[in-house]
Amino acid sequence: MSEAWSWLRRNALLLYAALAVLYMLLPILVIGLFSFDQTSTGKLDYRWSGLTLDYWRDAFDDESVNEAMITSIQLAGLSMLVATIVGTLMALALVRYQFRGRGVSNLLIVLPMATPEIVIGAALLSMFLIYGLELGFTTLFIAHVMFSISFVVVVVRSRLIGFDRSLEEAAADLGAPPLTTFRTITLPLMAPGIVAASLLAFALSIDDFVISNFNSGTTETFPLYIFGVSLRGIPVQVNVLATLLFLVTVIAIALVLWQQRRAERMADVRPEPEPQETLRPTSREVAA
Amino acid sequence: MSNTSDNPRAVRLRSALAMLVALVAALAIGACGDDDTVGGGNGGGEAEVAKAGPVRGELTISNWPAYMDTGKENTVAEFEDATGVEVDYVEDVNDNAEFFGKLRPQLERGQSGGRSIFVVTDWMAKQMYDLGYLQELDHDDLTTVFDNILPSLESPSFDPERKFSVPWQSGMTGIMVNEELAPDIRSVNDLFDPKYKGKVTMLSEMRDTVPLVMKADGVDPADADKQDWLDAIEKLREAAESGQIRRFTGNDYNQDMTNENVVAAIGWSGDTSIIENPDVSWRMPAEGCILWSDNMVIPNGAPNTAAALAWMNFVYRPRVQADIAEYVQYVTPVGGVDDVLRQRDPELADNQLIFPDEQFTADCSTQPDPPGSEEDQQEVTEAFQDMITGQG
Amino acid sequence: MRRLRRRLVPYGLLGPGAIWLLLFFAVPMYFMGEMALRSGSLDTGGFTFSWEWANFSDALSGSDEQIVRSFVYAGLATVIALAIAYPLAYAIALRAGRWKLLLLFAVVAPFFTTYLIRTIAWKTILADASPAVDVLQFLQLVPQDGRVLATGGAVVAGLTYNFLPFMILPIYASLERMDVRLIEAAKDLYASSTKAFLKVTLPISAPGIVAGILLTFIPAVGDYVNALLLGGTGQSMVGNVIQSLYLQQRDYPEAAALSFVMMLAILAVVVVYLRVAGTGAFIGDEEEPA
Repeated sequence: MSEAWSWLRRNALLLYAALAVLYMLLPILVIGLFSFDQTSTGKLDYRWSGLTLDYWRDAFDDESVNEAMITSIQLAGLSMLVATIVGTLMALALVRYQFRGRGVSNLLIVLPMATPEIVIGAALLSMFLIYGLELGFTTLFIAHVMFSISFVVVVVRSRLIGFDRSLEEAAADLGAPPLTTFRTITLPLMAPGIVAASLLAFALSIDDFVISNFNSGTTETFPLYIFGVSLRGIPVQVNVLATLLFLVTVIAIALVLWQQRRAERMADVRPEPEPQETLRPTSREVAA
Repeated sequence: MSNTSDNPRAVRLRSALAMLVALVAALAIGACGDDDTVGGGNGGGEAEVAKAGPVRGELTISNWPAYMDTGKENTVAEFEDATGVEVDYVEDVNDNAEFFGKLRPQLERGQSGGRSIFVVTDWMAKQMYDLGYLQELDHDDLTTVFDNILPSLESPSFDPERKFSVPWQSGMTGIMVNEELAPDIRSVNDLFDPKYKGKVTMLSEMRDTVPLVMKADGVDPADADKQDWLDAIEKLREAAESGQIRRFTGNDYNQDMTNENVVAAIGWSGDTSIIENPDVSWRMPAEGCILWSDNMVIPNGAPNTAAALAWMNFVYRPRVQADIAEYVQYVTPVGGVDDVLRQRDPELADNQLIFPDEQFTADCSTQPDPPGSEEDQQEVTEAFQDMITGQG
Repeated sequence: MRRLRRRLVPYGLLGPGAIWLLLFFAVPMYFMGEMALRSGSLDTGGFTFSWEWANFSDALSGSDEQIVRSFVYAGLATVIALAIAYPLAYAIALRAGRWKLLLLFAVVAPFFTTYLIRTIAWKTILADASPAVDVLQFLQLVPQDGRVLATGGAVVAGLTYNFLPFMILPIYASLERMDVRLIEAAKDLYASSTKAFLKVTLPISAPGIVAGILLTFIPAVGDYVNALLLGGTGQSMVGNVIQSLYLQQRDYPEAAALSFVMMLAILAVVVVYLRVAGTGAFIGDEEEPA
């Protein structure tokens, strides 16, 4: 009886999870669907009027979209990298060390998340002007890293809390210097947290509008471009590119994992090298 | 172990207190140090006149999206070929207030972020000029412009001598109607009809919505006083609170109209080309529409005023403007374009939404500012904004 | 000497981030704070510093409704997001085996596309006449002549959806380190599934839950774009008011003051929450072994 119950329980979770996945993918499915929609103006028209591959064929025709998309990806990638590194270091400090200024640090981390974007955007702009920086990719990069750090810290920190230190302690007991322990044990164990945090940082950057709007000068990012053209109709190529971005991301990961799996399988298949014959008598021989 | 007390609460409290003290101290020092005002603008000082000169170098233009024909041989490319100037054409004006918000800190400092021209609507151009952010234009440098500009645009109320603005395109605000579902909507007052409750949207642009509501009630926006504006805003507030008006939109009413979430909306004439619902069309309200223009202006700190002036002259050549008008499909400010287009596409030349004749726009009003002093204008703006955000 | 280096390590780790945040957040915020105490207007001579504390009380009294609504919407969105995200994160972290990374990326990748396009997609799905809304009406979740869009429900749904990754990722990161054998062990010791969950899984994932709640709630309160596109006039949040004050009314002091009021309110709620949830789950006051 309890077996049937737990069987049901286990399936209920997967069913729920499947529904949740569907929910999260629903918009991108619609976006993908409408990338095949026939329109008379080349712009998104919010209703289905027939299938066409035209926009996929001409996907990269619009120069300004492509440029905006490339800028956004570069920006997101770069700010993800820097924010993740800086934020991870901060998280380590906060979880693993005692020091003064903890309260201030926590405040400094939480406040950016609580501040409305327009206020950050406008305040940053004024400040950049005072510092005499020219608005463009650099100022965007600075701003994006700034608002991503907080999120990275919180995510990595949650991974680090309650960490089982025994493995690291064992390594230390075996004489490993702290940096080696960190590199070979701590870092890999932190990895899922770091991956999660960098995903979040990437998403934050590639989707940012308000702060970017204020601090981009004449540089155009993908969200800026979209909000711009939405005034007079979004070209269907945007849907195509959005779908492509999703597909490329997923396929890339799938490929990486598939490669990993292949490597593992190859390792299993290769025959174990024959153990060296020792000259020491086996116990049987001794016994005999 | 450090000497600080082990009580984490005390530590946190202490650091929070320390920060608060530091903040107040910093503010006090900052306040004593300078008493400069932020944001006074140049109001009162003499505006610079944009200098003409040899046309070369680079030109950065900020414009609204989809206001320029596309393709490798578009107007920008033509200009580059004709003058040798390298043009950076940026479409980063999405909204007057937003654009102002992000440009103001730079304009304050006499910088324009590298731009030599940007395009903003009448009222925003006037506000920028009053704040001293724009350069003046010498008509002697703009002969093509003032030879070809439509007479109706020569002397608008916001810039009677065309000292600082040159129209880029004009447009009309009226009503978008779904003719199947709401065939009888002819006036803005019909949008208040209870049978369309929740199926109507209006623009969040105060200078479009409020004057239209006033016109529908028989008030001429050009003669309206502050109370008229406030009364109209009150009428809107009641309609919003009762759910009659579904929401106040930017241009996103297009999706609502296409999906038939709403049957009528206050909207712009040029948007008919984006709504792919054959039942939807733009209607001139019975009481008339609101006419507005988006204008080219030259800001302080513009790096290449000579090229900017050349650009303005260039786009006022009828043949050049015809390319733009054909694509943009708003109201062109240049005379003679309809003749050029008639040879290419007669239907376009007869389109009232692109080349409205006198009769069509007889009852239309130019887009007004709230009347009165600065304080009065602020009061009206605040009342409207409070209504939109549901405050008060 | 070694002792000194030891004590400097945390500062070294904190350094880059702290400097970045100080330079590019704290300094601008100082200017914003200073602006909040100014008075005047843009057109009549600019803003002068005058210790105008009235800005704060004006901001509070004028937008009290929006402030409360923001907290309510954000709170609802957080709770719903938690309900959706936790089982999903659990399934991905502990049941997906080698495909967990793929699934994780697959559910987060939709959020790489711009917010506006996602919202347009949702507006298409939830249009008044759409089959989805018909189903909801059938299920009595929406009144017969009602609609989904331009309501509070739509705004909360928008907030929930758009902040889901913020909830999923930390919970995933936290759950992933759990050894499934712990649950088996608990069951071997005759614990029921519920007990095993409550005593083993939940505590291990607690830091992730706390993190997710904070990362969802805090930014959601200040959000404006969901209310702008999915709501009507009766659904305005504080973010919308601040937008309006800053861009349309150009009342920079009041916009700044309202932002501060909001930030303080959020901090207060967070402090209370952490007190209840136990700061250990958030701060993790660990010590470096001597």
